[in-house]
Amino acid sequence: MTDNAMEGLAPRAAGRPAAMNDIGAMVVVVIAILVTMHVVSSYVPDYIMPSPVAVAKAGWKIVTQDMLHVAATVGRLLLALLFSLIAGVLIGLVMGISAGLRPFLRALIVIDTGIPALSWILLAVFWFKDPEIRIFFILTMILLPFYALNTYDGIRALPKDLVDMIESFRPSRWQVVRYLIAPHIVSYILLTTKTVVGYATRMVIFAELVAAAIGVGSRMGLAQSSFHMDEVLAWTFLLVLLNMVLQLIVNGIEKVALKWRPEASVR
Amino acid sequence: MSERPSPSAGSEPVIALDGVAKSFAGTQVIGELSFRVRRGEIVTLLGRTGAGKTTVLNLVMGTTPPDAGSVRVAGHDPFRQFKALRGHMAVSFQTDRLLPWRTAVENAELGLLILGKPKRQAREIAASWLGRVGLSGAEDRYVHELSGGMRQRVSLARALAVDPELVLLDESFSQLDHVTSSALRRDFCGLARQFGKTCLMVTHRIDDAIEMADRVIVLGARARIRLEAAVPAASEDGEARDRLRHDIETALGPEAAQDSHQQEHG
Repeated sequence: MTDNAMEGLAPRAAGRPAAMNDIGAMVVVVIAILVTMHVVSSYVPDYIMPSPVAVAKAGWKIVTQDMLHVAATVGRLLLALLFSLIAGVLIGLVMGISAGLRPFLRALIVIDTGIPALSWILLAVFWFKDPEIRIFFILTMILLPFYALNTYDGIRALPKDLVDMIESFRPSRWQVVRYLIAPHIVSYILLTTKTVVGYATRMVIFAELVAAAIGVGSRMGLAQSSFHMDEVLAWTFLLVLLNMVLQLIVNGIEKVALKWRPEASVR
Repeated sequence: MSERPSPSAGSEPVIALDGVAKSFAGTQVIGELSFRVRRGEIVTLLGRTGAGKTTVLNLVMGTTPPDAGSVRVAGHDPFRQFKALRGHMAVSFQTDRLLPWRTAVENAELGLLILGKPKRQAREIAASWLGRVGLSGAEDRYVHELSGGMRQRVSLARALAVDPELVLLDESFSQLDHVTSSALRRDFCGLARQFGKTCLMVTHRIDDAIEMADRVIVLGARARIRLEAAVPAASEDGEARDRLRHDIETALGPEAAQDSHQQEHG
């Protein structure tokens, strides 16, 4: 052993001040929106812009009476996200590992990404009677390609040096996936989830509006048809809040799963 | 430096190359190369950039087949019988090639897990090897929390932990500064000799070759052997070592010798 073997330890990064800045900025923006709503609502009818107090009352009604619809929407969203994640990652893995199947799967995914969300919604309405299957199908067809393509890209981005290193131990294919590919693509999966979670929330609302009688989307449709703008806005704020909570959860998972990754900051 | 036990001269060589040729995209990288490495021997391949040193190492690793001739490692064809050499050889590369999501000890145990060692046993062996390379206390640090020298030490621990018959070193110390490199190769050499490992090391540093090897092979263009010589032990004859250094410099050519000198001391 040499004396200087333990020299040169790098310090750990700290990210608390940045998080406090983010929260502060968010509070400022929310206050600005509420003030704008209050000012505008003094000049226009309630069905155009209700006051923040009216929206808060509608929000309270949702929280006390309509949580079943929120739970239905969140359940659909999480189920479809989870299934798309698993199926998409598996397809991406097969694309990355099997040169024979890769062109066929890639062609399928490319065709899928070219089909508009509206087409999937209309097809689902024609093809399936059960609203749950309709919504699951719509979300899966929309979200799955993101996971498949990003997983495949993650495998392509594997440093050749690391592949050669692990190959030098002569592992099985499963061991390469377990020790090299799977940990490497975790950051790609989390980034994909962060990217699609907001999009998925919008899609599930849209799908519920067209294809279901229970859920936030259907309640928003009902509120809109009865000119209850306060309810529409309350549902909207709730969805924004939901999206933020989901993002926070994904960020939390990312912090744990990618704790090995140093956080770089640019001055 | 440790005492040099005599390699088992009579036994079957661990590495045997006979009339090996290799080309890439029509360019011949290796003409007709033959050499042997005996059990327990440390052999250094020296040569200028493009002399085919790394290609020789890849042929021995079995990641590429020869166009002509034969390569045998521990009696096996390393390319065609790739899996047969599982656990028999380990490689230390020019860069550490550590997995950033694994801690030092998790990196050191990687080869053991691939070879099917139970998790707890693999962890114990890896931790003990980290201790041997001077990294006790750094087991739970992630790669970005380690210095370049420490990373290379983890890489050596990972290679040695699987208890390989043969260790291949591809410019393993060349990315480090002179002091760290010198300490690391001294430590590695001591461990390799203590555990009787056969080593084939590729380098362009004359110091590395003379300090570590039992035998030096200098490769010229298309991996033609320009010099093959035993390295005298430091304790026996300092002058003989100086003569060998001169012979290596002559075989490498003036520019390569100068480059090597600059890299070692610059």
